[in-house]
Parts: sequence; structure tokens; C-alpha cells
Amino acid sequence: SGMSKDMMPGPYPRTPEERAAAAKKYNMRVEDYQPYPDDGFGYGDYPMLPNKSHHERDPWYQWDQPDMRHNWGEPMHWDFDMYIRNRVDTSPTVVPWHTMRKHFLIFLSTMLIMFGLGEIYPTYRPVGPKQYPFNDLYLERGGDPNKEPPVVTHYEI
Amino acid sequence: MAAEPPGSAAQRYRPNAFVSLPAELDPDTYDSSPEKRRAEAERLAIRARLKRQYQLQLNNPNPPAVIENPALLRWVYARTENVYPTFRPTPKTSFLGAVWAIGPLLFWMAVFKADRDRKEKLIKEGKYERPFSVF
Repeated sequence: SGMSKDMMPGPYPRTPEERAAAAKKYNMRVEDYQPYPDDGFGYGDYPMLPNKSHHERDPWYQWDQPDMRHNWGEPMHWDFDMYIRNRVDTSPTVVPWHTMRKHFLIFLSTMLIMFGLGEIYPTYRPVGPKQYPFNDLYLERGGDPNKEPPVVTHYEI
Repeated sequence: MAAEPPGSAAQRYRPNAFVSLPAELDPDTYDSSPEKRRAEAERLAIRARLKRQYQLQLNNPNPPAVIENPALLRWVYARTENVYPTFRPTPKTSFLGAVWAIGPLLFWMAVFKADRDRKEKLIKEGKYERPFSVF
């Protein structure tokens, strides 16, 4: 690719000289350069940039790559492909996130509790057995047409 | 007007991994000390130098076939080839590796065994109706 080995990311910087060299390699100020903590997770000396998505970057600045809102040579976030404008958006919201979460959980839990109670204690209007006309459908049920059908009353006075 | 709750507006906002602090609430926006200005000037100098390099390559009458972005190459290298050399087995990485690699295996083994045992018990008692029986 035309880049030498010392221009590529390497292991975690231990001495201040290594930190300065790494900051210069990544085109950052030495004060801005902050590598990921050395937990053995495989980050090496890659800089830890603020976790802000590209939705928050200035839309009116003339970026070298306007769709990515990224300048040539600018250090890219480790999760760059997550923070592009098609994906995760970390823009500040009008309402604080913990307030939104609280309101949502209150609504969701209220609705779920009411649905659950409705399943355990169902309510319906009082019903009685169905009443059929024509002496309880005597002829339709195969009753003899020559005989008198039994009188069926569904009411009491 | 009701009494203000304790803490600054930025503290009450509580930014987290999903939302960041708005610039209006960030005290850093209103800080115009000489140190900050010097830092901003240094960052601008780096940015201008990189932009000049890029524009020179872009407007070259004999441009190269592809203008390589060293930042992109470093990003790709860091995420693919630099992970294994810089990985180190620590208690935390070993624990997480066990959770994600061995955990699902044991979980699904237990689930399938329990399901099969339940079905076997039903068949032995004669209560299980075979769905694809040839009889």
C-alpha cells in the first residue's frame, strides 16, 4: 500500500517518546492523543476519540468527503463505520435521555400491567342462554307437523 | 418560577453513551482562554496541513490513480491485523472469551437436553402425539 511499517498502528505506547511519536503518526496533538487503556483487548496504540456520531459534525463545513463528514488524513474513530450518518446517531436530544427512558418505562409498564390484569380478571356483560323462536324451532328440528308442538315460554310475568 | 433543582444544567442532562451533551450546556463552549485558543490554533494548523496535502494531490494535472488516505489505511490495519499482536490474555479478556465462546454452547446443550428429556418422558407415558407419524 505504499506505507511503511512505522506509519501503521503498533503496540501500546509505554514511554512519553513513544506517545509523542504515535500522536505525530496519527496527525494529532500530543495533548489530544489518548490511547485506549492497555487491557489486552487488541486496541494497541490506536487513539481513543470522543464517542460522537457523524450526525453531530458541522454540516456546513467544507469536508474533503462531505457524505462521510470526514477530512483526508483525520484520525478515524475505532467505531467509524457505526457512527456514519446512516447508522447510530448520538446527537443531543431535546429532552434528557434519562427522562425519556423514565417516561417510556412508566407507560410500558402501566400498559403491560393493565393487559395482564385484564387477562387474569376478564370482564364481560352478563349473558343468558340463546332463545330460539317457533317453539324452540320445533319443525326445523324434525318435529312431527301433525302433532301439537310443546309450548315454550321464555318469560315470566 | 419554581425553585431550581440542585446541580448545573449539564449535570441534570446526564449525557451517556447514547446522547452527548449539547454545546449550549457544555462549559467548554464558553471558555475562551488563551490555552484553549492555542490548542485550537494547533489543531487548525494540523488540519490545514492535511488539507493542503490532499488538495495538492487532488488538483494535480497528473493525478495518481487512487489518492490513498493514510488514516483509512491505519484504521483498517488497526481493526484487522493489529488486534492479534496487541492482544494479551488477562483475567478480563479470558473471562469475556469464556462467556461468549463457551457460554452459548453450554446453554444450548442444556436447553436441547431438557427439551429432549421432556419429550422422551411424554412418549414413555404415551401422552405425546407424533406429528409426522407414518401410522
